[in-house]
Amino acid sequence: MTALQPAAIMSGRYQRAYTLAVIFLVAGWHLAGAGGQLLRNRPDYTSFAFQCAMWLIMALAIAAGSALVLRGTPGWFPAWSVALIALGASTAAAAATPASQMLAFNWSWGSAGWIGVLVLLRRRFTELASFLAAEALAILGVQVWDGLNRTDLAGFLALLAWSTGAQMAVAAGVRALDVAAGQAAAATRREHAARERAATADVIRADRHARWLALQESAGPLVAELAAGTADPGDPQVRIRSAVQAARLRRLLAEGDEVPGSLIHELHASADVAERRGVAVEIETAGLLPQVPGPARRVITDAAIAILTAARSQARITLATVAAGIAVSFVADTGAAVPLPAAGAGVTIEQQQDGGTLWAEARWNNR
Amino acid sequence: MEQPVRKQPVTVAIIEDHPVVTEGVASWIRSDPGQRVRLVQTAHDLAQLGASPPADVVILDLELSGELVTTQIPGLVTAGYRVVAFSGHSEPAIVMETLDNGAHAYVSKEEGRDHLVEAVLAAATDRPYVTRSQARAMLADQRPARPALSDQERQALLLWFQGMSKASVGRRMSISENTVRQYISRARAKYAATGRTAPSKDALLARAIEDGVIKPREITPYNSFARAAPGRPSSGAPGQVSDPGHPSFPPGVAPR
Repeated sequence: MTALQPAAIMSGRYQRAYTLAVIFLVAGWHLAGAGGQLLRNRPDYTSFAFQCAMWLIMALAIAAGSALVLRGTPGWFPAWSVALIALGASTAAAAATPASQMLAFNWSWGSAGWIGVLVLLRRRFTELASFLAAEALAILGVQVWDGLNRTDLAGFLALLAWSTGAQMAVAAGVRALDVAAGQAAAATRREHAARERAATADVIRADRHARWLALQESAGPLVAELAAGTADPGDPQVRIRSAVQAARLRRLLAEGDEVPGSLIHELHASADVAERRGVAVEIETAGLLPQVPGPARRVITDAAIAILTAARSQARITLATVAAGIAVSFVADTGAAVPLPAAGAGVTIEQQQDGGTLWAEARWNNR
Repeated sequence: MEQPVRKQPVTVAIIEDHPVVTEGVASWIRSDPGQRVRLVQTAHDLAQLGASPPADVVILDLELSGELVTTQIPGLVTAGYRVVAFSGHSEPAIVMETLDNGAHAYVSKEEGRDHLVEAVLAAATDRPYVTRSQARAMLADQRPARPALSDQERQALLLWFQGMSKASVGRRMSISENTVRQYISRARAKYAATGRTAPSKDALLARAIEDGVIKPREITPYNSFARAAPGRPSSGAPGQVSDPGHPSFPPGVAPR
């Protein structure tokens, strides 16, 4: 999930850059190309005011189209509304030019095509092709209406090849760049994931190796002695050793726990020392534990070390989520009360002695 | 202990695929000073069982031949079995599923020596028995349909889970040991009143009411709109306490 996001963002950034480039191209063409032609041939139009109105409508269509495509791929309805408005304005402008001068004075054909490119760019390619074809047909229709001769037809075909060719080329180019951006993003994501997998595998391997070593030096010899009969299961010493090894094995199995945070790992480390002394330690958790800040963890683990050092043969540590934090408790056969570290860092400590058994609880509240 | 003395020993069957575990359980049963339990059958899978329960209580290993059998528990309790689950899987989710499916009690393999015989005796009389691993699962329970426990019940469960004896829990909470048992049993009874229906859960609940562990009005009606069907006027919306004048009993539980 986290690996996916940067890739998606990156690919999105590239696509936005291409969109902006197309917007500048279309707006630039309409302003400089079409606008320039319109001004240059000003005296030749039947109604210059009408041509200017059509030019303005198409400028508004460009603004609307830009707003649409900057928000992502537009739906068919808004995209085609903008495209058809441009087509209508362009055809009207062409029809209003003097009959024999149409091709020479018409400024609107190119702009309409570019607007189509703008709004239909990321929709299906056939949509853009149909739009450009419809536009060419409209212009041809105006020509035929005006009376088509051979020179006009040649001019029309030349213009068609030039403008439609350029528009198709830009559309195809952007599509290719989009695909490339997607591939680049996917490659980045794969690389990221591979690095993460490798790092995780390293951690797991190191962890397994450490566990294997720990078992080699402790449980291995005991099992060997039991198997060879040199260790007597009736011997209290052997029983304590077995209990300690069992506790360690249990702890190794529990390390797959879903518990986040390092408090539990620090408690495990404290328990380790006690286990080496022959104290059987069990650690259990209830609920999804909250993260405990460093200073509070130090108070809790200090209490743990004090109690585990005083424990004679067994200790139980539990971590439980409570209303506003965590309750870490210790039950151990310490024989007597244990001087515990001072409370602080949001941790309160209570204890109770019952015969030889000590119960202590360190509670951390997150408010 | 808290169980009334029975003249006849409770009969028990063990369903367990590892002979060494069966042997261990048998030795715990033999070493019970009062000889309160008698082992009558051992089986290594569910197929070996008859249609009717072979004993008062069956001790069921939750993993038989490498497969979890928690989903088979509803079938067993419908056939009249009282199930005490005995398992190495002490993850809260599995414990909760086991209880929800109708097991009387859950005992983890670490707890077996101290708790299995007592759990069997409690189950034989349909009384709740809450091990520390079961308390852990109840404390960790975050399901939306979990019953509402009182602060006292929750505190008693927490201290019991932490490893205190019930007498110590009582001192800590300034209440008697008996009240501690009452809180823990009541929490268990509330669980018997939620989730899927099962004859064993109804029996636990009926016995808890009879013993005065829980009052009918303390039982939250089943957390299901589907079950709050017409014809049960006393139970309103889920979570609503029944009218004390008309105690509502879950299906199958009749006041005795």
